[in-house]
Amino acid sequence: MNTFFLLIGIGMCVLVLGCLFRVTYGPTILNRAAGISAVGTKTLVILMIIGVLHGRIEMFVDISMVYALLNFVGCIVLAKYLERAGDI
Amino acid sequence: MIQKSDDVIVRTVARSLMPFILIYGLYVVMHGHYSPGGGFQGGVILAAGFVLLTVTQGIERTRQHMSQKTACVISSVGLLIYAGIGALCLILGGRYLDYGRLSQLLQVDQPTARSLGILGVEIGVALGVMAVMCIIFFSIFAADETE
Repeated sequence: MNTFFLLIGIGMCVLVLGCLFRVTYGPTILNRAAGISAVGTKTLVILMIIGVLHGRIEMFVDISMVYALLNFVGCIVLAKYLERAGDI
Repeated sequence: MIQKSDDVIVRTVARSLMPFILIYGLYVVMHGHYSPGGGFQGGVILAAGFVLLTVTQGIERTRQHMSQKTACVISSVGLLIYAGIGALCLILGGRYLDYGRLSQLLQVDQPTARSLGILGVEIGVALGVMAVMCIIFFSIFAADETE
């Protein structure tokens, strides 16, 4: 079972690299914003998988909830800033 | 200047999420001894709730709940709790922040006194961090308003 979770975690890390490519070379700022948000969500899942592998899931659930909350607040603030900035 | 957001979804979600954020911040503060977190992290989560409220409901509405003056008072109270517990241990004959000495005052045994002392200090730190984060955030946007 641990091998299964390890493989899923490695696959998630590869997907994060794909999102990072979009963040770096994104044609518009909206692509970058969506990429950052996707990286945050995938980091949350990777944190939970690390918790399962270490056998301390109750500790990592707390950390990943804070991560999700800050990701949400950051996303809202970025969207607000883009709304004010007007044309992109 | 940050105005009220005109999207009803963002406003409603932020408003209904606010109590859960505050309860989670208090949970992080209270369980700082045996799970990740503590005073500083809990204070930052509480401040994130106020940042979310400011961004979605506008700065005027947030100032009704947490004005600059209230934030200054709360940060001073937090510092007073921290320094007061430390000085109380000093007065009772121990070192600074030596919580074991509080057992004489609280009429409990030493491990319980240490646990309660750490909890009190963490509450002080959380109040201070939350208020200072709010002050920094409000100061940034007050500078924006004068332009």
